[in-house]
Amino acid sequence: MSNVTFTVEELGLRDITLKNMPRLQRMRDRHFDGKPAICTELPRNITTFWKEKLAKLPDKDDSPELKAGKLYQYVMERKEAIIAQDNLLAGTTTTKPLGVLLYPDLYPLCIWPELETIGTRKKNPFDITPAQIKELNSVIFPYWLDKGTIMEATRKALKESDQECAALQERLVYYLVSKPECISHTIPHYGMVVKRGLADIIREARKEEDKPGKSKEQKDFYRAVQLALQGIITYAGHLADEADRQAGMAQNQERRDELQEISRICRKVPAAKPETFHEALQAIWICKIALHQENANLALSLGRLDQILYDLYAEDIKKGHLTPEKAVELVGCFWLGIADHVPMIPEAGEELFGGSGSNQAITLGGVDRDGKDAVNDLTYVMLKATELLVLRDPNVNARYYPDVNPPEYLQRLCEVNITTKATPCFHNDLAVIDTLKSQGVTEQDARDYGVIGCVEPFSAGRTFGHSGAILFNLTSALERTLFGGKHRLTKDELIGEQTTPAVQMNSFDEFQGALKRQLGWLIDRAVTFNNYCGRTHQQMHPCPMLSALMEGCMEKGQDVLMGGATYNFSGAAMIGLADVVDSVTAIQEFGFPHNGNAMAKMIAAIESDWGEGYRDLYAKVKNSSHKYGTDSPLAKDNAKWLMEFLHNTFQSKEHYRGGKYTVGYWTMTNHAGFGMLTGALPNGRRKGESFASGITPVSGSAPVLPACLNFIAGLDHTKITNGQALNLKFPPTATTTPALLSQTIQGYFLKADRSPGGLQVQFNIMNRQKLQEVTQDPGSPEYRDLLVRVSGYTAYFKDLNPQMQQEIINRAEYDLGTKQEIRYPYYERKEEPEPEPGLVARVVTGLGNIVRYVGNWFGELIHRTPAPIRDFLKMLEDKSTGDFLEGLLHFMEFRLEDPLHLDPEYHKNIAKFQGTYRFQDQKSNIETVVSFADGKMRINPDNPPPADLTVTFQDGDCLRNFLLPSPTPKRDFLKKDIMKSILNHEITVEGNLNLLYKFGYLANHLILHPLP
Amino acid sequence: MTAAAPLIFDIRRYALDDGPGIRSTVFLKGCNLRCLWCHNPESIDPQPEIGFYPRDCINCGDCVEACPVSACQLENPARIDRGKCTRCGDCVKVCPGQALRLLGCFYAVDELLEIIIRDRMFYEVSGGGVTLSGGEPTLFMDYCAAVLGPLQDLGLHTAIQTNGLFDWREFKEKVLPLLDLVMLDVKLADGNLHREYTGRDNALVWANLEGLLKEKPDAALPRIPLIPGFTATKGNLEAISRRLQDLGVRKCALLPYNPTWFSKAESLGKPIDVRLSPHLMTPGEVAACREIFSRAELIIH
Ligand code: SF4
Ligand code: SF4
Ligand code: SF4
Repeated sequence: MSNVTFTVEELGLRDITLKNMPRLQRMRDRHFDGKPAICTELPRNITTFWKEKLAKLPDKDDSPELKAGKLYQYVMERKEAIIAQDNLLAGTTTTKPLGVLLYPDLYPLCIWPELETIGTRKKNPFDITPAQIKELNSVIFPYWLDKGTIMEATRKALKESDQECAALQERLVYYLVSKPECISHTIPHYGMVVKRGLADIIREARKEEDKPGKSKEQKDFYRAVQLALQGIITYAGHLADEADRQAGMAQNQERRDELQEISRICRKVPAAKPETFHEALQAIWICKIALHQENANLALSLGRLDQILYDLYAEDIKKGHLTPEKAVELVGCFWLGIADHVPMIPEAGEELFGGSGSNQAITLGGVDRDGKDAVNDLTYVMLKATELLVLRDPNVNARYYPDVNPPEYLQRLCEVNITTKATPCFHNDLAVIDTLKSQGVTEQDARDYGVIGCVEPFSAGRTFGHSGAILFNLTSALERTLFGGKHRLTKDELIGEQTTPAVQMNSFDEFQGALKRQLGWLIDRAVTFNNYCGRTHQQMHPCPMLSALMEGCMEKGQDVLMGGATYNFSGAAMIGLADVVDSVTAIQEFGFPHNGNAMAKMIAAIESDWGEGYRDLYAKVKNSSHKYGTDSPLAKDNAKWLMEFLHNTFQSKEHYRGGKYTVGYWTMTNHAGFGMLTGALPNGRRKGESFASGITPVSGSAPVLPACLNFIAGLDHTKITNGQALNLKFPPTATTTPALLSQTIQGYFLKADRSPGGLQVQFNIMNRQKLQEVTQDPGSPEYRDLLVRVSGYTAYFKDLNPQMQQEIINRAEYDLGTKQEIRYPYYERKEEPEPEPGLVARVVTGLGNIVRYVGNWFGELIHRTPAPIRDFLKMLEDKSTGDFLEGLLHFMEFRLEDPLHLDPEYHKNIAKFQGTYRFQDQKSNIETVVSFADGKMRINPDNPPPADLTVTFQDGDCLRNFLLPSPTPKRDFLKKDIMKSILNHEITVEGNLNLLYKFGYLANHLILHPLP
Repeated sequence: MTAAAPLIFDIRRYALDDGPGIRSTVFLKGCNLRCLWCHNPESIDPQPEIGFYPRDCINCGDCVEACPVSACQLENPARIDRGKCTRCGDCVKVCPGQALRLLGCFYAVDELLEIIIRDRMFYEVSGGGVTLSGGEPTLFMDYCAAVLGPLQDLGLHTAIQTNGLFDWREFKEKVLPLLDLVMLDVKLADGNLHREYTGRDNALVWANLEGLLKEKPDAALPRIPLIPGFTATKGNLEAISRRLQDLGVRKCALLPYNPTWFSKAESLGKPIDVRLSPHLMTPGEVAACREIFSRAELIIH
């Protein structure tokens, strides 16, 4: 029997508007008016716990699990209980209305150098108070500098032969393993919260703990679960107290009643099983808050809320306690709660992940565990809330099972997509379920899938999927194949596999073989590094709360990180698929005719960035009908073997928790980021241009929409085990109707033989001109909530960096008037526009960031110090570069010694600081050691201790460029050169990066306060 | 008499306005009229033609070298001297930018069907299908029938766009049974004007429309192209609407004027009559035309 009682006319719930929902309107306005602010509550509590509480015997010798249990109990008990204005749900993720969470053992130290500038940076600034800066700089960060973060602990664990794994990560262009930044990308089992309540889980844990035959590890695990969950219940009690307190002060009766109800609910859930829709939402919300204290707020997703909450919703409606309208309001409060925090992104990373929310996906519709239509009234209520609020978080994903879910449901989804312009995105149940089954998931569990993060479907509540574990740049392997094992950015450097340069190859088969070898090697390195990081997590960051809410962990008595969940995976996302397939096809078509110099010409063409002299080859390549996303059998075949190879290779790798590596095709903003760093490619892509996003064809090369959809639908979905993002853009014209969109989706989801078609598709309904207007006037309030789909996640267009904005503007747009995709003809490269400084810095690792700061400091010093000193420094410039470096360091020493007592605070920075830096060039002409110990900075001390961090310059010139980019007072200019230095491999850094962050803060402080 | 094997100058997939649903429209080359406003200038000549698309040209000069009769010249902004050109196609083969294109390819029936059927799911879910257009597809009735038959067997919606000048008996016998929709263009009510602007009298058009309405009324859809100054005159439209009413027609379609085909004519080196407007019709002008037909209680499609 269908669970939809709305009539077809009612599905849209058209009477419910923001106008008649003043509470949501106010909350939404406040949300968009707010500026994100750093919250230090969590790092403070975690640090205090480790420093003070756990330093004591006997806790000191606890297992990592038990320590974690105690830690999160402590954190939850001390968490400030806040009820946001107007909200019907109590609790906030941070202490701020829109907070930035810092997880001290993950990656926060990379913002150390930025502490004093993060509030004023151009793109997406974060508020921070002087007291917070002081606390982070002098208490929290120093502690973690000593204790070590995940990245540094992993670095220490690397075997000699695996050292290159970290180096490759820090070269930025090969792969990015996300574990140093997060433990996330999964869906907790909120069904347990709704169907059982935490007290019941605690009872179960106690019972298991007491059972005979349990190992010490298991007992510790059960103990940790009890402690941590107890912490959550205590926090709920504090929320109830706060509700009582506010009720006592409430101005009007209505709010007083609401607060009293909140108080009642928080005294009951999440400990007890919720009995109303409101109680269930509150219970989930409290658990969600708790999980974000333990797991980074990246893609910790919600799963199938319309299923989990439906029974209580229906009961409440039946009893007359709830109306659809009230339900929309409650869901709206929940949606806005989910959006109450943003991820911490350092300025350099801003360019790579900029504009991303925390990617908390929610999944609607589809079928139930028995394969029956699962769309219900609550599905439509949640769609309504989505349509009204138009938020980037939660990232709404809709499931559609062809022939099982009703067509009017799909139409309604399309209608919401057209109104919101970007959400939901569409998943094909038929293909997803088939794929999950091929990965060993049972049919029932496969049907119960939810979407994680961007687009990654996994069985919800029982899979630790870590689907965003590895971002893998396919084009970097193509580069290495073309140039015999080298990458144009890292020039002569040879890491790993060496193959014959393409110019010397004799056949396409040989080329194909070399590409596979390069890919295979890089995959091995990425996976190895991920395994190391995973083992560090096991030691340093067990997750008792997530484990308590994950099917499988309780039976096994094992943390999720140890493999406790029923299903275990780590996911890799491939970046640059279409560009690589098109490049391979172009090489096949134009590089290997029998005359020998065709390949030489191709290589010369890309080395010249498709210069004037190669316009004929460019035209041929660009106009070739053999493109990814067309009917070309050649392109299809190349996509097929490449994807098969990736799938087989990843799946063959050993996995640290006994799971499997999965392969997906979605790119967030990395296709723009990695694109920035990559030279011209054989498919006609020019240097620095974005790659095609996700699994989408290259813009302009797949002009026939159904051919494009058939191509993607024709890819073997069982080789796409970590999700895909197919991005299409339609103009908002009269022909773009819900009916047309839904027909297009249906034609793509099902093949003529009724076998599954494409896995996923998403539409931006977007007017090119409108987007261009926003880039001109990003501050306009009119555009603050203009939502776009990037590659998987949704973002506010204004928040994206310029390259990403351009990518979305250029993205394949199917103009339904002419039935043609817009094409991009050859353009003359203008006098190379200096890349926007921030743009180049699209780097996740704090590495680039920090070296930049060091450079800033030296450069700024020249311009901002008083004239006599400046002249003195200028004079030094004429001396040998090494002397010059030392001169600069001496100035820092002078400021630290502070004989004139100008800035006593500054000296405190090194009071208890120990660390040795070595600056050198490759030929060892320059060598300067700076050592901090006993509250002193020493330059070139006698018998220097071994360096904790070494900064190596290619030669003296590089150092000079690095230190003295050019006499301009604009700091932007400096950034540009430093980044170029890194990317050109003029500078490499080895050792504990956290030390560099520390140095960065010291340096940056001097820049900002040249004179106290 | 119909020719056996037409050339095809375009297969447009994901077409949304050549009939219901999502469709593929196949354009056959060759026409028995010479409408002054023909919006498919490449459709009239049944022989292959060479088109030149200056936007895609990179001035490499390869075509100049390839041309055996020196018809290609870089100095010529239209690239080809049509007087000299023998349409041998040599220049097209060497052109790297696809700035020179050969218009008109032969597709065996199976080949064409294979392409059409690729998008079958889109037709099925949208109630769409295939439209044969031109040129004048009824010049090739056997070919049309050979294509439409299998499509009908697959249960796809089939349609044709015709100028109405065909042999009724042959059409009724070979093609009509395979069609769900016949879009028949009625251009001018006045026979003399019809002769003047299209080259042929219109008596056969009306007769065939009448036959069609008798034989398969549900499939008939008369369409009136609106050409400012020619067909989109009050007198002509009123006359047409009266006549449609007399024939018992219930619904018809209007095709508002769209001069974007001017560039196509230029690519083929064909002159554009100076009397033709280079502008789109305003919504007001279109509405005024619609008004005439709705007054006559014709439902406009
Ligand atoms: S009937 Fe159609 S194709 Fe033929 S000339 Fe007239 S407008 Fe052109
Ligand atoms: S088709 Fe032949 S004759 Fe005509 S321009 Fe091209 S090469 Fe010359
Ligand atoms: S061969 Fe093509 S691209 Fe080259 S000049 Fe001729 S028309 Fe232009």
